[in-house]
Amino acid sequence: MSLLERHPEGSLLADRRLQAAAVVAVLALAAVPLATTEALTGLVLTGLVFVMLGVSWNLLAGYAGQISLGHAAFFGMGAFVAAWLTTPSGAGFPESLQLPVLVAVLVGGLASALVALVLGGIIFRLRGHYFAIGTLALAAVIELVMLDQRSLTGGSTGYYIDSDLGLPGVPVSHGDVVFYLTLAATVATVGVTYSIVRGPGGLAMQAVHDDEDAASSLGVNPLKYKVYAFVVSSFFAGLAGALYGHYTLYINPESTLAVTWTIDTLVVVILGGMGTFVGPLLGAALFVLLDKGLPVALRTVADLFALEGGTSALVDSLSTTVEGVLIILFIIFVPQGLYGLANDYLVTDLTRGGPGEPGTPTEGGPGSDPTAGPEATADGDASVPPREE
Amino acid sequence: MVATGVAVEAVVNGLLLGGIYALAALGLSLVFGIMDVVNLAHGHMLMVGAYLAIVLLAATGITPLVGMFLAMGVLFVFGVALQRVLLERVVGEGIEQPIIVLFGLALVLQNVARILLSGDARTADIGIPRGWFDLGFLSFERTVTFVVAVVLVALTWAFLQYTRTGQAIRATAQNPDAARHMGIDTDRIYALTLGVGTALAGAAGALLAMLFPITPFVGWSYLLKTFAVVVLGGVGSVPGTLVGGLVIGVAENLGDLYLGYRNVVSLLIFLVVLLVRPQGLLGTGGEE
Repeated sequence: MSLLERHPEGSLLADRRLQAAAVVAVLALAAVPLATTEALTGLVLTGLVFVMLGVSWNLLAGYAGQISLGHAAFFGMGAFVAAWLTTPSGAGFPESLQLPVLVAVLVGGLASALVALVLGGIIFRLRGHYFAIGTLALAAVIELVMLDQRSLTGGSTGYYIDSDLGLPGVPVSHGDVVFYLTLAATVATVGVTYSIVRGPGGLAMQAVHDDEDAASSLGVNPLKYKVYAFVVSSFFAGLAGALYGHYTLYINPESTLAVTWTIDTLVVVILGGMGTFVGPLLGAALFVLLDKGLPVALRTVADLFALEGGTSALVDSLSTTVEGVLIILFIIFVPQGLYGLANDYLVTDLTRGGPGEPGTPTEGGPGSDPTAGPEATADGDASVPPREE
Repeated sequence: MVATGVAVEAVVNGLLLGGIYALAALGLSLVFGIMDVVNLAHGHMLMVGAYLAIVLLAATGITPLVGMFLAMGVLFVFGVALQRVLLERVVGEGIEQPIIVLFGLALVLQNVARILLSGDARTADIGIPRGWFDLGFLSFERTVTFVVAVVLVALTWAFLQYTRTGQAIRATAQNPDAARHMGIDTDRIYALTLGVGTALAGAAGALLAMLFPITPFVGWSYLLKTFAVVVLGGVGSVPGTLVGGLVIGVAENLGDLYLGYRNVVSLLIFLVVLLVRPQGLLGTGGEE
């Protein structure tokens, strides 16, 4: 147990108040479709999808240290497999294949996981930079092939999903039901990933991240844990894609499989804090604000100066540019992201207050080793690249 | 079946195109071989070089063959500044940070290009008279750009092989610590290497602008293509890069002709070589 106790992120997460906050957050989210507009529900749903993408990518990249640039491919594959199952006629499959949305969405995730399992044995022969660019190429191949298979994916015209989960008689729309499914899937993503990260598997992944050869010499099979992280990560990415596809009811190989999803995932994780558990949750919230808020702000500025057009493409590009600049600045100057900043701030504050300070939200509780705080900070550092070396 | 004449033409055109791919890949290969960093923004820098040549031609009528030098100069300065300002802070601290910095940079370049030049495809005319030149089915543009590209590859090779700076670069690649003990300012060498690498991307971009339409979105595709060449030729090997470029150029054209897939062919070659022989066909595994 002592190993788990000293786990880098023990400090904030094990705090009862934080657990209570998580329950409150889920309940608050559950109230969103009832209390707000359709548009806001969609916005929060997008945020949940980014939580799923961020948390799953973070498991692979932040914990296992495998920078995959192909996350979009698994997101997109999940979306397409689920779409084929709820709307088989669109791809020329027999109607008898049709499955309920809940099952189809799960199968979508499983299909992505299966592809990851099959590819994992091969693609993990590549290390470091080669792995990053190998996954980028892999995603590009998948996108090009899917785009070319017009009969299966609709090509550049896209694929319409025929599904209506709205309940007759009650004011619960299709979007609301998908929202609850997505919320449940998000809770599952966070829960499963948390238990992996906190368990021996997570420690093994971090060992592989820090020094693959050393981990190997201590009896940790690097390939096994890399594939483990890859499969779990791809499952949740596929699930996210399947749910998102069933919310928008339209998918397109050019957009659903596009590298944009990988980029957005990176932004979420890096802003929040790579290799930290809470990071992607913060990052997703911030990203949705940026992604939706920046265009609004930019459009207002454009209108103010009566800039010609103020076209959405321009505003789009501007906000993506800002996101690009932000990830560069964050990864250089704040590699632990927002979570790191918050954690550092809290931990230093408490250490200054002395070990006996009541209400210390560190794992050991009041009166424990006074070095616990700084130690946690140092570990948090190590989860991005090993700077101490 | 495709007629033999058409196939021969595809092979020859592929070779001509492959020369430019080799030039484009050389910069990526040098940076990877010497600094152990994959420049994920390499394709986007190529795109910037292409646009510089296009804009110069549109504004002043100067041929992209001259505009190429402008692109090289601008991108050299850009590369040196990138290393000094951003990458120097993160190189040697694990691979995540350089990968993400360069990925972010690619994003910025693509979107800034889109803001400044819109997303429409643009292309450049070669801008020199062609009356005196007739080589049958050989395209004038392709032949001229091929010759320029191969000359630049040869010059780069000679620079690395025969100048003192080139020797210092190779020494740094082999063993940075030993190089430092010999009095080589390795930080300066790294900045210079990235500058040369990005300048070569700029040159290749200016040449490609005369053959293919350029959009702000071509960066990723050229990154993967040039990386395929690097992998095929072996990291850091100039002759290997040249051979790799020619192979990818021909394979693409034949793939287009026989299978109807152009981009997938080079990507598949890339993945297969990466998995079967990651040190490249002629490579030494990045030692030099």
